Amino acid sequence: MNQTFKIILVKVGFGCVLLALWQAVASARFMPAHLFPGPGDVLKSLMDIARDGTLWTSIRLSMGRMLVGYSISLLGGVAVGVLAARSWLFKETVGSLIMALQSIPSICWLPFALIWIGIDQRAVLAVVILGALFSIAIATESAIRNIPPIYQKVGRVLGARGFVFSRDILFFAALPELIGGLKIGWTFAWRSLMAAELLRADQMGVARIIETGRSYNEIAMMMAGMIVILAVGLTVDLVVFGTLERRIRRRWGLEK
Amino acid sequence: MSIQFQNVSKAFVQNGQGAARIIQALNPLSMEIRDGEFFSIIGPSGCGKSTLLNLLAGLETSDSGNVTVDNVPVEGPSPNRAVVFQEAGLMPWMTVSRNVEYGLKLQGLSRDERVHRAEKYLKMVHLSKYANAMPHQLSGGMKQRVSIARALALEPKVLLMDEPFSALDAQTRDVLHDEVQRIWQETNTTIVFVTHNIREAVYLSDRVMIMTAPPGSIKRIVPVPFAHPRAKSSSDLSYFTAQLHNQIKEEVDKVAARELDADWKQDAEGLAVAAEGTDYASGI
Repeated sequence: MNQTFKIILVKVGFGCVLLALWQAVASARFMPAHLFPGPGDVLKSLMDIARDGTLWTSIRLSMGRMLVGYSISLLGGVAVGVLAARSWLFKETVGSLIMALQSIPSICWLPFALIWIGIDQRAVLAVVILGALFSIAIATESAIRNIPPIYQKVGRVLGARGFVFSRDILFFAALPELIGGLKIGWTFAWRSLMAAELLRADQMGVARIIETGRSYNEIAMMMAGMIVILAVGLTVDLVVFGTLERRIRRRWGLEK
Repeated sequence: MSIQFQNVSKAFVQNGQGAARIIQALNPLSMEIRDGEFFSIIGPSGCGKSTLLNLLAGLETSDSGNVTVDNVPVEGPSPNRAVVFQEAGLMPWMTVSRNVEYGLKLQGLSRDERVHRAEKYLKMVHLSKYANAMPHQLSGGMKQRVSIARALALEPKVLLMDEPFSALDAQTRDVLHDEVQRIWQETNTTIVFVTHNIREAVYLSDRVMIMTAPPGSIKRIVPVPFAHPRAKSSSDLSYFTAQLHNQIKEEVDKVAARELDADWKQDAEGLAVAAEGTDYASGI
């Protein structure tokens, strides 16, 4: 049997077992049905929010915030990373600061953002940006530093220097490692956004589905919210970043 | 076209534990490499042979003296002095042809000219078929051929080769020796060749420069008195190689005496006594 097919079969099988287990626990009635709904109820709830449009509006709003916030982190993070890789002084000062800040979950900045920036969309954006910026900067710096020194030498003897070298050689040589860092940055940004949306009652968004469910005491809707978060996160991870990473690695000859 | 080193010296700062140490890589050294010559540099590890090549390539600057090519001082890298490194260093995101073309693009050649030149030099290293392949599809020896084509495509006055074959297996290396010899004769390029392989140096070179244990200086410059093209199996060549080997061994021993435990010499001599009577030259 084909190895890929075998893996898919195992994964689908495991998923079915999980669903069956969930249903069994729900049917066993350890808790009242409305406190622990089964997969059928959650699916129904999911279809309800899909039908009344809540689901699509939430996804659109959350993804909008991600795109804006992540784009800013990407530009800022790459710029900071390049500077840190290029300048010893910058690395030892700003670089160390960023390493330290990276240990603070970005959601902790939300209260500050609310006071300094204002109680609106921009406070949530700030948290998303801070969530990804530092990890992208660190990944960029490391990707550039890990470039085999031979490219530097080859670039110089062929006559590539300064900006031309960065554009033609540095960028591409760093790309396979960089793309992994960008993926992690996206994951951090997504987590930060979910946390911020949970805390901010004034904004609609994917995480709000959970909070809305809680306020109506509808656990099926809360679970539907969890599934949406998982599905959106996984889709971007696998489809966007997964494809990009695979293509690059294949072209570079890092995997067949 | 001749290359001149005049009182060239170079030291490096090594940051170890405690205070930084200054390592003298090259003692002041003067020499001349003639137009069209195949010139090899050999010596024990750390003797500064690669430093010498890097100075000529313009990848490093000397602390004193100057390096000139046709009386023009070397100031940084130039397409007139192409370099082949030990690693092929092909850019994995470009096709083979694009790799060869890249240096020409930086020089502002038109697309047609670039493609034409890449074809010409890929043909010279017998890799026309692979023009559109990706580097990861090639073997180590093929990659090094592309690297040679990339250097030749610049149509340099001097081709600098820094241990270009030392990462390859013995068979591939033998084939490439013949290729380099042929290319050198076809293109009339001056070749400066750094190696630690004495047989390789003797087989290919007009003159071989032997360097001393660090800090590097010239021990001797030896002309190889045989006409090109040479046959690898020639016993004259083997005899010549063995003689050079003894001279280099003196320098290698000096390095070993500094680096190894005191008992290395007795063990090594024990082996040499045991090997006496066997043909020394053929063992290289």
